[in-house]
Amino acid sequence: MITSSGLAQALIFGVANGCVYILLATGLNLIFGVMKLVNFAHGQLLMVGAFIAYEVTTMAGLNPYLSILVSMGSVALIGIGMEKFAFSKIRGTEKLNEIFISLGLIYVFENIARLFWVNEFSIRIPSPFVSLSVPLGEVAIGYDYIFAITIVIAILIGLVLLTKRTKIGLAMRATSQKGDAAKLMGINVNRIYLFTFAVGAALAGASGTLYGILYSFNPTVGALPTIKAFAIIILGGLGSIPGAIVGGLLYGIAESMTAYMSSGFGIAGTWQDAIAFILLIAVLIIRPTGLFGEKGE
Amino acid sequence: MENATKLSSFLRSRKFQYAVIAVFLVAALPLVVKSEYIIGQVFTLMLVFAIYASSWNLLAYSGQGSLGHAAFLGIGGFASALLVVKTGMPPVAGLIVGSLVSAGIGALIGLACVRLKAWFLAMVTFGFSVIVISIMTQFDSVFGGVIGFPTTPVAPQVIPFYYATLGIAVVSILTILFVMKSKLGLAFKAIRENELEAKMTGINAGKYRLLAFVISTFFAGLAGGLYAESSLFIQNSIFEPYYSFLPLIMSVVGGLSTIEGPIIGSVIIVSINSFLPLTDKYLQPLSPLFPGVSNVGPPLRLFGLGIFLILVVIFLPKGVTSLLRKGYNYLRTDTTKTKKVEPPRKNMIASENI
Repeated sequence: MITSSGLAQALIFGVANGCVYILLATGLNLIFGVMKLVNFAHGQLLMVGAFIAYEVTTMAGLNPYLSILVSMGSVALIGIGMEKFAFSKIRGTEKLNEIFISLGLIYVFENIARLFWVNEFSIRIPSPFVSLSVPLGEVAIGYDYIFAITIVIAILIGLVLLTKRTKIGLAMRATSQKGDAAKLMGINVNRIYLFTFAVGAALAGASGTLYGILYSFNPTVGALPTIKAFAIIILGGLGSIPGAIVGGLLYGIAESMTAYMSSGFGIAGTWQDAIAFILLIAVLIIRPTGLFGEKGE
Repeated sequence: MENATKLSSFLRSRKFQYAVIAVFLVAALPLVVKSEYIIGQVFTLMLVFAIYASSWNLLAYSGQGSLGHAAFLGIGGFASALLVVKTGMPPVAGLIVGSLVSAGIGALIGLACVRLKAWFLAMVTFGFSVIVISIMTQFDSVFGGVIGFPTTPVAPQVIPFYYATLGIAVVSILTILFVMKSKLGLAFKAIRENELEAKMTGINAGKYRLLAFVISTFFAGLAGGLYAESSLFIQNSIFEPYYSFLPLIMSVVGGLSTIEGPIIGSVIIVSINSFLPLTDKYLQPLSPLFPGVSNVGPPLRLFGLGIFLILVVIFLPKGVTSLLRKGYNYLRTDTTKTKKVEPPRKNMIASENI
């Protein structure tokens, strides 16, 4: 049955879902924008972030929303390791090598997670607010959804301040525009790359924690979000934070609406994953450079 | 005329002789290896994936890195299997028609892709493979892929099918080689290196990119039909992203944009997939280290595989082929050293004396 309250509920789920995608896509966009690097293992950082937050929450009894900080910090360190020991080694070779090394990293991360996984099934970060919700007319919004949306907004504001108001942000933007010229201006480009990768990975860690609070996850959960984050970046336009926000919300809402509709109309559940790509292909056929993109790579 | 002389000089070249020897060695394998499992599930799969990876490599040769080739592998597989099962078509005709169906759909996707730049194209092709899974699940009453169904092979398993696959693989890879070496391949290469410059020299980039798509998806469909027949069964799992990434892994391990790279890559990756699980029992003693896990073998060996892939691309960015080529060139220069390398040295010394 399709009802107005059901639709409103699906809309809220969609916005929260979109928020997780926005964080992931922004991190990926940052790395792509500054380093022109395609990190297909970004979703695995989301999974690792969720897992670290789960361990911190269950072992140390920390509030899951405080564990975001731990998760961001540790995933940033992992990101630095990835850049230093893998991606920096193949800089300047074939573009397809980047996808290839990401595939290797996917194997590494997923199987490390499987080795230390507490049980063989999906787990979820326990939240103390799971049963609490704010009634709003016919629908109820869970506290967790409100927190997630607030945290995403706060992180995005912080990111904009970092890139627009600080010296290192200026250096990042300079490197993004022209790496060689930035080098001539005395910017240590390699250090900027490391920093960018760390920030991007930290965003993935944060989105992973939120993902783990809102949904259950397992070691292989990262693959599809990566691809969807890429689709969001392309839809919104490369290097555009507003584009990522619009794209992420659009995808999140489209997905949860499809999931809701499919229960009402007897449509296969797999369309929930396909809808993002149908949107993407439709947009690219009309506008080959994306919604907000000025030019391609 | 020009093509004919090229062809005859190619047939007389050293490389061609090596290739013929290699084909004969592969054909003689069943005389040495008696295990039906190894011939049917390892050697045959190597040949099938050699076609599949070569088809992907041809598309990459034109500068279009597809991340959704599993869609065409699956479409070819399902089309040929369904035609044979439902209309009673002979399996050989089913294979050909299945490949044509794959090429037809490939042409449609290619039309959407010709205007797109690298990553955009990768996403559209990946997205297409996800959409195909949804269509297959939605109309399962027609396709029957959720549970799967048995297929009829072109030749009886195991040995006759192995030779049939070998014949098809040789013809397919030779065709791909001729495309790569012809004017068509030159145009593909020009577009890959710099599309704008290629356009300025009068190459209709859109037309050639579409052509690359059609040829590539034809052979991907053919490989799909053979893959379905080699395992005597087809299921929707053939569309999984794993099968889209497989030809990329094989081509990069072997050597991108070379004809032998995908073949070597296919041999290496299929061997790893078939024989690495045998190491599981040696990894069991490590299980006390990881208390939460019941079977410690698969994650440990796949972790090792990931490290291996990373090391390959760091130390051999041009693939295993580059190593073989280095060795081959070393051997060649070694035997002709006295003729080729010495004279210039003498000249240099002489000129220094003056």
